[in-house]
Amino acid sequence: MAEKFTDYTIDELMVVTLARQFTDDDIMLNGTVSFIPVSAALLARQTHAPGLTWVAGAVGVDADPGYIVGNTLDPTMWKNCVMYLPQLEDMWGYVCRNTLETFCIRGAQIDKFGNVNNSVIGDFKKPKVRLPGSAGMGDMATLDKKIYIWSTTHNSRTFVEKVDFLAAPGYLDGGDARQKLGLKNGPQIVITDLCVMDFEPTSKRMRLKSVHHGITPKQVQEKTGFELLMPDKVPETEAPTAEQIQILRDKVDPKSMRKLEFRGSETKV
Amino acid sequence: MAAKKEDKVVSLEQAAGLVRDGDVVGLQGMGTQMAPMGMIRELIRAGKKRLKVVQLVGGIGMDWMIAAGCVEKVSYIIVNLDEFGMANNFRREVEAGRLEVEEYTEHQFLTRMQAGAKGLSFGVTRSGLGSQLLETHPDITKVIDCPFTGEKVIAVRALEPDVTILHAHRADKYGNVQFFPKPIWTDVDVFPRAAKKVIVTVEEIVDTDEIRRTPIHTGIPYFKVDAIVELPFGAHPCSLYPQYSFDREFFADYASESRTAEGTKKFLDKYVFGPKSHAEYLQLAGGAAALLRIRKWS
Repeated sequence: MAEKFTDYTIDELMVVTLARQFTDDDIMLNGTVSFIPVSAALLARQTHAPGLTWVAGAVGVDADPGYIVGNTLDPTMWKNCVMYLPQLEDMWGYVCRNTLETFCIRGAQIDKFGNVNNSVIGDFKKPKVRLPGSAGMGDMATLDKKIYIWSTTHNSRTFVEKVDFLAAPGYLDGGDARQKLGLKNGPQIVITDLCVMDFEPTSKRMRLKSVHHGITPKQVQEKTGFELLMPDKVPETEAPTAEQIQILRDKVDPKSMRKLEFRGSETKV
Repeated sequence: MAAKKEDKVVSLEQAAGLVRDGDVVGLQGMGTQMAPMGMIRELIRAGKKRLKVVQLVGGIGMDWMIAAGCVEKVSYIIVNLDEFGMANNFRREVEAGRLEVEEYTEHQFLTRMQAGAKGLSFGVTRSGLGSQLLETHPDITKVIDCPFTGEKVIAVRALEPDVTILHAHRADKYGNVQFFPKPIWTDVDVFPRAAKKVIVTVEEIVDTDEIRRTPIHTGIPYFKVDAIVELPFGAHPCSLYPQYSFDREFFADYASESRTAEGTKKFLDKYVFGPKSHAEYLQLAGGAAALLRIRKWS
């Protein structure tokens, strides 16, 4: 058996882990400062999911910019696309009708049912901290998307019992609350700088799925502001292959734009 | 309201005269992209007050207008400077309780404009059911039953901005406005159609014959446009794809200076209130060397 590949950093592990979620059937678009999801989509396309469709910045259909040049919403990402998607009728039509079904979101607060907040800490009208805003996440979370959540700051300020402001509904109060409201799909998985989590099918509570190399389930729980569901055995997150790391470093993101997402993270990359 | 087929080329100062204190002002652009920055600087210098700024993605221009005291309320889906981080004056003023906000999901926001553009009093969307955003503007968004299926949908009140302001690649003197590539963005599509007045700054004014040769690129026809201003690099420090990139050094400088109100004031004194003309502003922002750099997208 080949020796286990260990020459990777956490940003690279997060990209590879997210990439592994994507399949040939996914049609995904991305928002601003989304270096990890875009890296993951480009990596998936160059490895196990060549048929994955990526709509660059929600504009450039099946674009091929070569590598990540600047911000993920930049027109430079549209290079070699087959169509510029007119936003109002075409892009929003496809999103509302769920032709485009895959989306990645992150936020300042994420709770145990996968509800996400990037609007305010404290009261909405007179907040303690005003955050940038919900952007497209309020749309994607309610228009039946399969939501992949990523976070580079796994701590008890980000992972909270209840979000201060519920901008993007995950499973709301858990159980069948989301379904009762008529919303399909929802959060699938949460990938952080410490671990991977999913949602227990009945209660819809967040559950530890795997821990990254060197991290223990106890450490994850200590850094989480709510009680995580804990399976008896928690495996280590599958390590990237040498091929995945080489493609990510040399082809997809040679400028290491993904590392910009770790400003403010305790994890150094 | 239709505009005539007549020469509409005016100066920045004259165009600013079309914006009245208290107006609902639609702005094009995003964090670092395609904002009518020259016109925004002029509105600040003209001392406009109590504006209600409507911009899908608020960026550096919205942040300047807030800092300069021009703005009473902002409507948006997100306000940031892309990879340069937070719009600090937006943040400070909201936290101090001095700025009113209306945050929407993107499709709620666009459906408001779309209804306005179609002369309807409201539009419908499924976007945002279960989001607390609904509770923050109960006079604008209401959950209703579909009259045919009984399904829950959200009715959003129409919006017709008093004026919308854009920066585009080129136009003729009548206001046939062209985009390269052809218009795909919502703010160059539905914003002008929903607005009562439209002001467009352009990189260059061309002959109508040139427009007639390339009508596929025309995004707004003359009958919807009230004023045209020729303003090369009029989006600076934002980008105008594919002609020039955003000015990375300028943005980094602002992101750093705007951490304090004092730093912001210093920055605005230098770049907004200081220069006597657009040419002088560009000179101050690095002149030919800087413009060459952004034309190379580096």
